[in-house]
Order: sequence, then C-alpha cells, then structure tokens
Amino acid sequence: MNKGLHRFTLFVTGATLVLIVAGALVTSHDAGLAVPDWPLSFGKVFPEMTGNVFWEHGHRMVAASVGILIIVLNVLFWRYEKRIWVRRLGFVALGAVIAQGLLGGLTVIFWLPLAISAAHATLAQLLFCTLVTLSVFTSPAWSEPHAKIEEKEGTPLKFVCVASAITILIQLVIGATLRHSATWDKYLPTGLLLTHVAGAFAVTMLLGYTIITVHRRHALETYLTTPAGIAATLLVVQLCLGVAAYLTRQASPSGPQPRNPMIGITVAHVACGALVFATTIVLTLRSFRVLKPSSETAKGYQRLSAETS
Amino acid sequence: MMLKKRARLWLAMTLTVSLLALSFACGGKKDTAEDNSSGDNGTTAKTFAPKGDEGTVTGKVNLTGTAPAPQPIDMSQDANCKSKNPNATTETVVAKDGKLQNVFVYIKDGTLADGSKIGDWTFKTPDTEVVLDQNGCHYVPHVIGLQPNQKLKVTNSDPTGHNIHVLPKSGGGNEEWNESQPGGAGPIVKSFKRSEILIPVKCNQHPWMKAYIGVIKHPFFAVTKDDGTFELKGVPPGTYTLAAWHEKYGEKTAQVKVDAKGTATTDFSFDAGGGTASVENGSLEVMPAMDLPMLMKH
Repeated sequence: MNKGLHRFTLFVTGATLVLIVAGALVTSHDAGLAVPDWPLSFGKVFPEMTGNVFWEHGHRMVAASVGILIIVLNVLFWRYEKRIWVRRLGFVALGAVIAQGLLGGLTVIFWLPLAISAAHATLAQLLFCTLVTLSVFTSPAWSEPHAKIEEKEGTPLKFVCVASAITILIQLVIGATLRHSATWDKYLPTGLLLTHVAGAFAVTMLLGYTIITVHRRHALETYLTTPAGIAATLLVVQLCLGVAAYLTRQASPSGPQPRNPMIGITVAHVACGALVFATTIVLTLRSFRVLKPSSETAKGYQRLSAETS
Repeated sequence: MMLKKRARLWLAMTLTVSLLALSFACGGKKDTAEDNSSGDNGTTAKTFAPKGDEGTVTGKVNLTGTAPAPQPIDMSQDANCKSKNPNATTETVVAKDGKLQNVFVYIKDGTLADGSKIGDWTFKTPDTEVVLDQNGCHYVPHVIGLQPNQKLKVTNSDPTGHNIHVLPKSGGGNEEWNESQPGGAGPIVKSFKRSEILIPVKCNQHPWMKAYIGVIKHPFFAVTKDDGTFELKGVPPGTYTLAAWHEKYGEKTAQVKVDAKGTATTDFSFDAGGGTASVENGSLEVMPAMDLPMLMKH
C-alpha cells in the first residue's frame, strides 16, 4: 500500500469537490454565458476577470487544474498501483473529466440547454464519486485484512446501501435539473421543485433506514458506523440547507441581482449533496468489503445453485 | 470479475442519468401563446400610406399606492461599473409623483375607419436606427421599441466589456443572440424579423443589467417618459385596443377611438402593490413556485 498515492488521490478528490463548488458558483451567479466562446475565453487564455467573467473563467481554470491532476493521478497509478482494476478505474475518472470538459464547452456553445447543463452537473457528481471510490480503494484500511462479518437476518445491508446510493444519485440528477431550469431572476418550476422535495423525502427515509440498520446490526464496527454517522450528520445539514436554499431562492427574483445569502446557501446545498453521496458510497464500499451473507442466505444460495446446476 | 461488475454498474448508472436528463429536457419547455399584438396574420397585406387625416393618441400612466423604492445595486464585482455608477439602483419601477416611466404603450389591435383591420396592413420599415447604449453598466434606455427589420444599434459607452444577450421567446420567429462587446468597441447592429412583446435583454457579465425591446409591425407605439406621458402620432382614424405593458405589472388594455385629425386621450393605472416578477403576456412568462414565507423581502 502506497500512502503517498492515497494522499494524492485524496487531494485530487478534494480538488474535485472544489470544482463542484466553482461550478455551482457559476450557476448561482448566472455566469454561464459571461464568456460566450470556448475553449478560449474571448479568444484569450487569460481574459480580464471582471464581473461574471471571474466566476466562469475561474471555473474553467479550476476544471483545467483538476484535469491535469487526474492525468498525474493516472500516471502515478500506472507507476505505483499494482491492482489493474484500480488503474482502470483511474482511466474511468480520466474519461469522465474529459467528457465533463466537453459537456461544459457544449453547454456554453449552445447557450445552456437544460439537458446539457444538467448532464454536466450530474457528471460532476459521478466524477467526484469515482474519485471518492479510488480514495477508498487506495486507503490503508481497505488493504488491511478484515474478518468477514456475517450479515444479520433481514434485508442485506449491502443492498440497502446500494439502494440509498442510487436514490441519492437520482435526487442529484433532479436537483441539477431544477437548478438549471430557471435563472436567479425567475421562479423555479413547481413540478420539478415538488419532485425534488419528494426525492428528499425518499433519500431521508432510505438513508435514515440504512444508518439505523448499520447502528442496530453492527454497532461495534467503527469501519461501518463512522461513515454512517457522518452521513447522518450531513443528511440533517443538507435538509436544513435545502429549506434555506428554497427560501432564499424564492426571494431572488424580486432582487436586483443574485445575492450572497442565496448564492452561499445554494452552493453549500450542492456541495453538501455531493458529500452525502460520497459518504454513502464509502459506506456501501465498506459494507461490501466486510460483510458476508448470513448463514441462512448462504444456504439459500447453495440450494438455488444446486437446483439450477 | 469484480471489475466487470463495477464497470456494468457504472454503465447502468450513466445510462440512467442520461435518460433522466433527456426526459426532463424534452418535457421542460412549454410553448407560449402566439403573440398577435402586431397584427402579423400571414395574409397578403396592403402597404399603409398616410392620407393626411391621421390623429394622435396621448395619455399618461399612473401608479396608485406607494411605489416600491429602487433597490441599490452592488457593482463591486466590476470596479469600472462601480466607479462610473457608484449609486446605481434598479429600474424595475421608476415612478415620480404617481406617474410611471418605462411603460411600453402600443396599438394591439383595431379597425380603421374604412373597416380594415390594422393587422391587414404592412408598414414601411424606418431607415432610422434605434440606439441601445450601455452606460454606467445600465442599458439606456431601459425600454425601447422598433419595427421588424429596423436596425438596432447597440453601443458601449462603458470602459468595461458587456455581453448583450437577447432572449426572444422560442418559436416566435426571432433568433436569440449573445455577443460580447468590449469597452470602446464599435457598435453591434442587429434587427428582428418578427413582432414580439417584449424581448428581454440581459448582460451575462453584469446580471443586474436588463432592458426590454418591443418589436411592433406598425409605428404606433411609445414608451412613457419620466412624467408618465406617452404620445402615438400618425394614427389613422379608427377604433383600437391600446395596450400598456410594464415589466413588473404586466399588461393592461383600453379601447380608444381616433377621429380624423383628432387627439384621443387614454390614461392607464397600475396598482403599486400588484404584479409579480413575471409578466402576464409576452416573452417573460414563468411559472411561480409554491407561495411560502420569504426571506429577504424588499
């Protein structure tokens, strides 16, 4: 296990979160078209950073930096990482960041069509998720030998975690679409807003059940309870941010310009959403790492296998 | 085997995301109602020629109640804007002594004295250019009107760059455009093919900058001055629907009869407490969300 490689992977993961924040700042400032050309900005590599150009070109610079970091990460994986599947996942991250750059360019060139802008925001979350996954795989804790813990009776925790992660991803897609469906000076579309609220309810129920299940079945396994506890905290923060984001966003159209409370809270809501997703991914990966099917389930599998063979 | 499973999971997730995004995008936009305010009816039209008996429509637009105070604009994100216009405020509602400025008044429909509809006529495109200047990081004037194919000349009197982003409604026949104009650059000259009430203009670099362009088939329109008055000259005798459009308060209409060489007077009145950030008609229609308590009320 290469600790330096793990630390660098963590650094790139953090940089990707910064990139998500930079992108959210562009959306909240309504700066997506402040620079009308791409890949250059007003035909230059570094234009004058006035007005909303600061946010849009700043986002491009952070994105370019993250792209370079992911290239370096792949080189390091190629050099130091022995597990070929980890190297390949590094390539997935590289492909995602390239696709992300292209989507960013397309959304500028085509003047922010909803489908491309929402896809751009969603792929950002998937890229972040990929890097979180790489951080887990390169961590010392992942390589340490773990005694397999038998799942308790009931719905396997692994599947509950996967269901939570998928639900959160769907909620992120809805959120991305909602954010890009109206600029700061227009009201959010009611249908999408209610869908997002329903999504929040679903995430709260499923993730809440996941967290409770972890603590009820594996209270002494800090390898599982730690991410579950962080996810619980982030979920509460995220729900509060969601309500605050709604209130400030609904007041926004009557203002003269995007205002800092709306911008700050909405961007924090986006970033916290990414962190809830990331923590759930960590919990899911760890549950797959240490849990094994219950003896009853295993017997069931064996019976099924014998019958089908 | 582990990798294959994970790769399949990723593929499935990516496909799901793409399909969801596409389905939202396809269902997201709704068509807005066709704007017939200009009388573009698609039929073969006669060219209007003044007969010398045209009259005038005058009036004023009142604002009842207490006008909302202009809101200060924070221009600190661009030092050039802040130094040139340090005390900038919003122009959404500009009222003085109960008279409302920046209301676009136009003949929406009507019948001439000879029984023909105003929409049955075509009108000569003026040779004059209508100027929209960017000065102090504001659009000046805030509301303008012109006819289809008449030239719009956009100038930049600021030492900083702007983006002129014109947002006509989709499917209305006018094209959206977004061009940057550095400080000191030459004018941008454009025109609009079709009538449209009213086309929003925004600057993507300075989000507080907004203007509205009314494109009308005929020349019978005006924008209220700072005393709330308007005057439509050269109106052929007839009976018309006169409309007054304001970006916050929406549109009101009134019937007006213009006699030969006569002057008809029509006043409009808007309630200062009415209206929303959206408008009732035209390109700016939006769908308000749930009405829940607001923070930061102004």
